[in-house]
Amino acid sequence: MKLNSICSFVLIASVFVGCNQSKNSESETKDGTRKLVIGSTMLSMQNEFVVNVSDEMEAKAKELGVELITVDAERSALKQVEQVESFIAQGVDAIVMNPCEVEASSPAVKLALDAKIPIINVNSETTAKPTSFVGSDDVESARIAMNYIVKKLGGKGNVIMMHGYMGQAAQIKRDKGAKEILKANPGLKLLAEQSGEWDRAKAMSLTENWVQSYGTKINAVFAQNDEMGLGVVKALEAAGLKNKIIVVSIDAIPDALQAVKKGTLDATVYQNAKQQGSKAIENAVKAAKGEAFEKEVLIPFQLVTKENLSEFLK
Amino acid sequence: MTETILQIKNLTKSFSGIKALDDVQLTIKKGEVHALMGENGAGKSTFMKILIGLLSPDSGEIVFEGNTIKNSTVNEISKRGISMIHQEILIIPELTVAQNIFLGREKEILGNKSGWLNDKNITIKAAEFLSELGVDIDPNIKMKYLSVAQMQMVEIAKAVSNDATVIIMDEPTSAISDREVSALFKIIRDLKSKGVAIIYISHKMDEIFEICDTITVLRDGKYIATKSASELDKNSLIAMMVGREINNMFPEPVLEKGEIILSVKNLNKKGKFSAISFDVSAGEILGISGLMGAGRTEIAEAIYGLSPADNGTIHINGEEIKIKSPQDAVANGIGYVSEDRKRLGFIPQLSVKQNLTLASLTEHCRGIFIDNQKENVAADQMIADLKIKASGRNQKVTHLSGGNQQKVVIGKVLAASPKIIILDEPTRGIDVGAKFEIYKLINSLAAKGIAIIMISSELPEVLGMSDRIMVLSKGIQTAILSRKEATQELIMKYAVQ
Amino acid sequence: MGNKLTSRFRDIGQYGIFLAFVIICLILAFSTPKFFTVSNLMNIGTQVSINALLAFGVTFVIITGGIDLSLGSMVAVTGVLAASFAHPDTYPLIVPVFIGLAGGLAIGAFNGLVITKSKVPPFIVTLGTMTIGRGLALILSNGRPISNLSDSFNFIGGGNILGIPFPIIILVLAFLICSAILNKTILGRYMYAVGGNEPAARASGIRVNHVKMWVYTICGLLSAVGGILLTSRITTGQPNAGAGFELDAIAAAIIGGTSTSGGTGTMTGTLIGALLIGVISNSLDLLNVTSYYQQVVMGAIIIGAVVLDSMGKEKS
Repeated sequence: MKLNSICSFVLIASVFVGCNQSKNSESETKDGTRKLVIGSTMLSMQNEFVVNVSDEMEAKAKELGVELITVDAERSALKQVEQVESFIAQGVDAIVMNPCEVEASSPAVKLALDAKIPIINVNSETTAKPTSFVGSDDVESARIAMNYIVKKLGGKGNVIMMHGYMGQAAQIKRDKGAKEILKANPGLKLLAEQSGEWDRAKAMSLTENWVQSYGTKINAVFAQNDEMGLGVVKALEAAGLKNKIIVVSIDAIPDALQAVKKGTLDATVYQNAKQQGSKAIENAVKAAKGEAFEKEVLIPFQLVTKENLSEFLK
Repeated sequence: MTETILQIKNLTKSFSGIKALDDVQLTIKKGEVHALMGENGAGKSTFMKILIGLLSPDSGEIVFEGNTIKNSTVNEISKRGISMIHQEILIIPELTVAQNIFLGREKEILGNKSGWLNDKNITIKAAEFLSELGVDIDPNIKMKYLSVAQMQMVEIAKAVSNDATVIIMDEPTSAISDREVSALFKIIRDLKSKGVAIIYISHKMDEIFEICDTITVLRDGKYIATKSASELDKNSLIAMMVGREINNMFPEPVLEKGEIILSVKNLNKKGKFSAISFDVSAGEILGISGLMGAGRTEIAEAIYGLSPADNGTIHINGEEIKIKSPQDAVANGIGYVSEDRKRLGFIPQLSVKQNLTLASLTEHCRGIFIDNQKENVAADQMIADLKIKASGRNQKVTHLSGGNQQKVVIGKVLAASPKIIILDEPTRGIDVGAKFEIYKLINSLAAKGIAIIMISSELPEVLGMSDRIMVLSKGIQTAILSRKEATQELIMKYAVQ
Repeated sequence: MGNKLTSRFRDIGQYGIFLAFVIICLILAFSTPKFFTVSNLMNIGTQVSINALLAFGVTFVIITGGIDLSLGSMVAVTGVLAASFAHPDTYPLIVPVFIGLAGGLAIGAFNGLVITKSKVPPFIVTLGTMTIGRGLALILSNGRPISNLSDSFNFIGGGNILGIPFPIIILVLAFLICSAILNKTILGRYMYAVGGNEPAARASGIRVNHVKMWVYTICGLLSAVGGILLTSRITTGQPNAGAGFELDAIAAAIIGGTSTSGGTGTMTGTLIGALLIGVISNSLDLLNVTSYYQQVVMGAIIIGAVVLDSMGKEKS
């Protein structure tokens, strides 16, 4: 693991070298004013949603004519803090952070604020308060998903919940939202809950095992992200139970939208990666220039079903 | 009458139904050097393993200094004062001499309870023990820089520092020079005068008669007799060990020689040997003699391709061949039995059969698949031909005695039907009876027309077996002697030239 | 009779682990009626198949005294490669399968080549390949899952023949072939020899480097089969798939009695090791044990099984 991070460090270092070179050549715009530099550290560039947010940030940065250096924290809060440290050392004008963890990524926020560099948290929160937060309230997303199940089942039935990585902010909040709705609807029984670790293959195995345990007793499954939701769907289809069980998940990734279109996934909850990404860059640029900006930007979630699918399909 | 310090009675131990030790007894007196003799497989090592607590006996009694020892661990027994100097010395190469001496006993020996190490203190203590033994070794030097003999001295110092009253020495002279042997014997005599008893295990007859007071013989796991060394001579001792008299160690040599098979010309390897030239004919045994470090093994490894020579030529049947790897050597009909049986000889995890066929596996298969039937037949044939004592072809090689392991290694080489076999110390660490069998085997190979090169440190062996003897000194060949002219004195003269 | 039976098991060298497996299965069968049903057993077989394939590959490697940490990454690369050519109405099924396998073969051969030519320890080389492989998978997929795969491709991981899931059929075939390679071919014998005592194997005229090349290449190929199976099962080529798979595979091999110092190990042992891991995780799900506890239980059972196994070996 240590070597792994050394390897990645070398890679990142070479990315920095590359960026520095481009900085030397491009940091002076044609009219002679200095180009703003924003550093961004992302939770994991192996996660599709994060990649989407990052792509949108890139696009927005280009549009506003600022330079964006993006690095991958590979889900390690320690690495993330180190990356922010090197951003500070490089003297970037603003930092956008997609935090790995609520607590462990907090020191990065403090470091940036101490260095008087504005830091914007995108997508998820840290305990330390950043210059600005752009994201959505994960608790709300789970409420939306669970309410859909309540509506579909008429407030009565057996539900199974599949968690993400235990202890991560998204898992904790989505769990909280879902449990709130369950509490308000005593007719719904939580049959089982277990972690699928955000992973499609794991979710599939887990569902196969649940089918063995509970079979047709299951009325609905709430998976905390689409990857897992799609795994659930796959396993239920194989068991011939899909048309009897409702499956809802969160994120509205392209695969999930396709599944909603086919009718295999009943609903997903759209989290607006585009808006999060562009808003984060907007705020970062404003903060760097000393202009006024919003302290907290909450981008609303939307339920996606077959009915309103066309709005979300590109 | 000196007092008895250790008494073992009616000791019996079986492994999966086979008795390794059957009602064995041993009485050791204070201050005596007691030889434990027997062929490999006689039960000596099982016996010693029980004594030091590595194995527990099925029945029997061990009385040490008046107390019965039962179910004791290796640690407890060494604390009571029985220590063993193993054949393969167990040391930590990266630690210093002093650190090795006190390893695992830092607290007790140094009276240091805190757990903090005081290397200076350890070094002073170690120096005391070493000088007490009259050994000149710097306690601060790392163990890996010592010679085998020096490591042995350190092991003895370790035993002495442990207040050992009985020290078991397993083949202590197997890897050290004559001069070092006399230094070792001086220490043994010294320990003896202090009342320490030594159990001495060795195959070397001369040493036994030089240093030991009493001799106990085991055969096939049974106690044969305990006699005073002065009552015995070599022949009567051998007779006790093998249960029969061996009058002539060396079988009659083969007289018919064929054409020259292997011809080596002007072989050089920088820092190892230079200008080596010799021929070997079919059916001939060429002995190679010389002191340690004379380049004997290096020449063998060069011919076999393990570490090829820098230049020079090798002809087989008049045709020049290039040997860059063992595969080339095997393809050209050369076989090699290494002096380092454990490292280069066999694969411990594999069975007797699997080791025997390892170098000739392609002959026992259909396509890429091994033909079990064929392999079994070949292995059984070889086991019978070489008289390998094993419970069956599927027994693991590690469970065999040294002599039988050696036979397996020779069998593996033979199975590839070589024209030339290089035997490097073929009888090292092998007992008398098995030695004789190996000699007979070598002669029978020569009779079949195989050219044999035999490297040996034992002069009687070289003289008894070889048709011609090449003598090396510091990497240079100083003589090739015929069987008729060769004597121990002449060989030594050329070896130190 | 009983004696003969036990000595047979001892020969296989997995008496302890086999016993542990049977005991755990019995306990599970009694604690939940859902465990011992045909559908659940099929279920376990399918879930075990990918790990078992990787474990077979790494068993070869470990027997020669090496290690391969790049399995998980190879799964990802080959999965993404296969998925790229498996969209409906593009190429016939043979194309993605062939390309996936070729990818695994190439990476495996690369491992073998570097290890034999450079003399750098396999641990370091495959650690490097692990990172390179992960990067390649992300590059090939632009960091996004490749979905929309053809039905014929999805049959590999999701279909069944006569009610037997296709992954189980692949698993059984792979087991038979791997066992045959290990027990019945010259190559298999040489693997044991190289791992048992490399200098002696070399001195016996065995081409040690050839053996190692083969071993890493076979391991790559099996990883590719695993990668294709996984991709087909989840109907997407995921660049982040297979992370940590190498550890599960190595665990299965070691639980099954393969010694990390080389020279010993059997495919049957590895299969039982993989099944044991699969059965445990399946039954903990059935019993609805929270995932916090699952990890603890899994670790404890792994250690327990190996302890039992080594005690069994000591007795013999």
